[in-house]
Amino acid sequence: MQNNKTIPLLVITTIALLMSACSTKQEPLYIYGDYSQSYYDSKKNLGVNTALELQKSIEYAIENASESRSGRVAPGMYANLGYIYLKGGKAAQAIESFNKEKSIYPESAHFMNRMIKKIDLMEGKNK
Amino acid sequence: MMQNRLIALLIFIVSMLIFTGCASSSPKVKKVAEFPKMYEQQPRSILILPPMNQSTDAQAKDYYMTTTEVPFALKGYYTFPTEMVSDIMKQEGVYDTEVLYNMPLDKYYEYFGADAVLFTRIKKWDVSYMVLASRLTISIEAKIVSTKTSQELWKYTGTVVVDLGGGDTGGGILGLIAKVVVAAVNTATADYVKYAHIANKKIVNTLPAGPYSEMHMKDQNLELIDQTIRR
Repeated sequence: MQNNKTIPLLVITTIALLMSACSTKQEPLYIYGDYSQSYYDSKKNLGVNTALELQKSIEYAIENASESRSGRVAPGMYANLGYIYLKGGKAAQAIESFNKEKSIYPESAHFMNRMIKKIDLMEGKNK
Repeated sequence: MMQNRLIALLIFIVSMLIFTGCASSSPKVKKVAEFPKMYEQQPRSILILPPMNQSTDAQAKDYYMTTTEVPFALKGYYTFPTEMVSDIMKQEGVYDTEVLYNMPLDKYYEYFGADAVLFTRIKKWDVSYMVLASRLTISIEAKIVSTKTSQELWKYTGTVVVDLGGGDTGGGILGLIAKVVVAAVNTATADYVKYAHIANKKIVNTLPAGPYSEMHMKDQNLELIDQTIRR
C-alpha cells in the first residue's frame, strides 16, 4: 500500500528536520567548561572561594582542550592562569603560562612579552 | 481514517518547519554589504574593553563583562582576557570607562598589540513594571573599531525582552494584587546574565567569522537583519 510507505518517509523527514533545526551540532571550537559561570560568580560574590572556583574552571578548560574541535586551549586561558600565578607571587609559573599563551596565539605575543618584562623588572628589584 | 490524519498532521508540521525555518521577515542584508571593512581589514585579535553602562543598574557593568569573551572567541577571534585587561588598565591608572572609550585607538595597539577594540554599551538592563505584567529588557550595542585605521568595522545592537508577568488571570482587584506580587517575585529571581548571553548570541551571529573559524572569509553572503534601515 502506498500509505504504508509515505508514513515512515514523513516520520523520518520530520525527525530529521527537528534534529537538524538550524544548526548542525558538533564539537565546540574550544572547551570552556564552567568558565563563564564561575567568572560571573567571582564577580557576584568576591572572595577566596569564588576565585578558587574560577581558577579550577580555567585549569579544567586547559586540561580538556584536546576534546575541542580545534584541539587548542581557548584564547586567554593560559594568560588568565599566568595572571593568577602572578598575583599569588609565583613568578616563574606566571612566565611559563604567558609563554604558552604566546606560543598558541601569536596575536598575544606583544602583550605577553610586556607582562614577562614587567615580572623580570619586579624580580630584579627583589634581588 | 487514522493514517490520513497522521499524514496530514506530519505534512503540516513539516511545512511549518520549512516556512518558519530560521528566518524572520525583517529586511535582510548580506554580511559583506553591511560590514565590508571587516573583510577588507580582517582583524585577528580583539581587545574587549569593560562595558559602558548606561542602564539604571550599577551592577550591570561587572556582570555583563563576564559574558563577552567566550562568544567572540568562539566566533574565531583572538580575544584578550577581559578580567586581566581590565586589571592592567587599573594598574595603569585608568579606572573610568569613559576615559578608555575616548583614548586614541593606536594606544591599544601600542600596549596590547590588538588589531581591534570591542566597545560595548549597556543601553538597557532593567525590569519595567506595568499594571498587568512586568518585563525584563536587556539591550546591548556592540562595535568593533580598528586600532590601525581607527575605522568602525562592525556594529550591531542586540535586544532581548522577556515577559515576566504572564497572561491575564482575571479576578478583578484581587487578581491584580496577586499579579503584582507574582511579578515582584519573578523579578527578584530574574536572571539578567542568562538573557545577556542570549543578546550576545544575536549580536555575534552578525559578525563575520574570525581567522580561527572554519567560516573565515566564507560567510560574506550570509544574511542578517538590517538595523541601519530602522535607525
